[in-house]
Amino acid sequence: MTFSMKRSMAILYKDYKDVSKNLYVSTTVLLPLVMAAIYGRMGIEAIDTHYMVINMIFSLVAAYVQCSLIAEEKEKNTLRGLMLSPASTLEILFGKSLLSFISTIAVIIIAAFLTGYNPDNVIIVGMAIILSAVFYIGVGTLLGLLTKSVMEASVVILPIMMIFSFGSFLTPFIEKYPVLKFIEYLPNLQLIELANQVEAGAGLADVWFHLAVIIVWTAAVFALVVAVYKKRMMD
Amino acid sequence: MENIIEVKSLAKYFSDQPALENVSFNVKKGETFGFLGPSGSGKTTTIKILTAQLAQTDGEALVFGVNASNLKKEEYRKKIGILTDNSGLYSRLTIYDNLKLYCDLYDVPDKRIDEVLGMVNLIDEKKKAVSKLSKGMTQRVTLARAFLHQPELLFLDEPTSALDPVNTKHIYKGLKDLKEKGTTIFLTTHDMNEAETLCDRVAFLNNGAIQLLDSPKALRQKFADHTLTVELTDGSKVIVDKGPGGAQTVYDYMSGNKIVSIYSNEPTLGDIFVEVTGRKLA
Repeated sequence: MTFSMKRSMAILYKDYKDVSKNLYVSTTVLLPLVMAAIYGRMGIEAIDTHYMVINMIFSLVAAYVQCSLIAEEKEKNTLRGLMLSPASTLEILFGKSLLSFISTIAVIIIAAFLTGYNPDNVIIVGMAIILSAVFYIGVGTLLGLLTKSVMEASVVILPIMMIFSFGSFLTPFIEKYPVLKFIEYLPNLQLIELANQVEAGAGLADVWFHLAVIIVWTAAVFALVVAVYKKRMMD
Repeated sequence: MENIIEVKSLAKYFSDQPALENVSFNVKKGETFGFLGPSGSGKTTTIKILTAQLAQTDGEALVFGVNASNLKKEEYRKKIGILTDNSGLYSRLTIYDNLKLYCDLYDVPDKRIDEVLGMVNLIDEKKKAVSKLSKGMTQRVTLARAFLHQPELLFLDEPTSALDPVNTKHIYKGLKDLKEKGTTIFLTTHDMNEAETLCDRVAFLNNGAIQLLDSPKALRQKFADHTLTVELTDGSKVIVDKGPGGAQTVYDYMSGNKIVSIYSNEPTLGDIFVEVTGRKLA
């Protein structure tokens, strides 16, 4: 199977032009930065608080923006045009994810600057953040493919945002309700755990498990994305 | 001549409701083939099956000699152009930007954009956002996108349904030019004039089944009542047989210089459709 970067870049360029004229999406990207600026002024120290902002960026920028972009393509019947073009599933999904990915990483870097987050090991934390961004973009793509309109997507994404942005609030209940133990394996909590360990001096050998869990989540969500995408190619 | 489309005993059911039943036809290379039928007769369903957007329940649909469900490969996608009811455009982008995306997806040089916009009479509007276009203009952009990459096979679902007569004529010219260059066109319509103007052969589809299939000329001859109408100078009309008896009558009127016009009483495709199916084309 061949991969044409030109086709993926054409989709990215189209998305960039489209989103730059879409106030609804472009203001959503700015929202976490406002929060980061407020937290930055307050002066935060705890890693968990830094990651509250970062997880919010994942939910709002990676998942929500991606979900809106895909849902709008479906709503306006433009996704079918892409599907019927010579572009492969990989070229389309990659191209459709690039804008959300670049925006997510850019917003995280600016937010980290605003909140004063400076990880001890940028490479490990960077890897974990990139993997997490890919996971959340997968979630957004999946929900965008499952919904019929931007309005429906905006509603469906809410519980996902709650779980992944504020999942850490549920951790105190795990001891009381063992059934909630799976929460520990959510990618957002794995990322926080990894970041905390890195700050305590851990190396790659110490945090590989957390990275592996995030990779498994990412692989699982993209397997679902490809399956649903293939279904959406047909009426 | 080589068949580009071969359909054998095609059937499609939606929750036990038949949309297509035992449909068989071939489309030859370079031919313009019309699928004529009222709304809900199965025209769009057929196009969707032939373009791998819908799976058939039964039968066989071959396009370029391969099963239609295998048309998702790049080599086939480049050979096919599609205009259906779900061919959307990016409303915030300009006409040019919409077509530029498809140039990149189909590996077509950008200069082709001006050529296709010329064909659909939109060359001066290319910097306009699609959201600012009328329904007819939007339809013309989707048409331009369908033949942007000069496909070998073009599927058009009601291509002029939203167009005024002037632009319809413009599109007809463009489609005839494409046909001259060897493009095979499969079009659905409920406009019998469109079918008469563009199609080499037409199939009448009603309730999911093909009722008739032939060239418009052959169908008109088949259903003609073999009479002529003679309009006379006194305003009256006389219907005469096309045989020797009628010839003598016409000769007599001509000798007396009484004839204003003579025309053959051939039915239109619409008349034939109503006669065969008992339904109107709408």
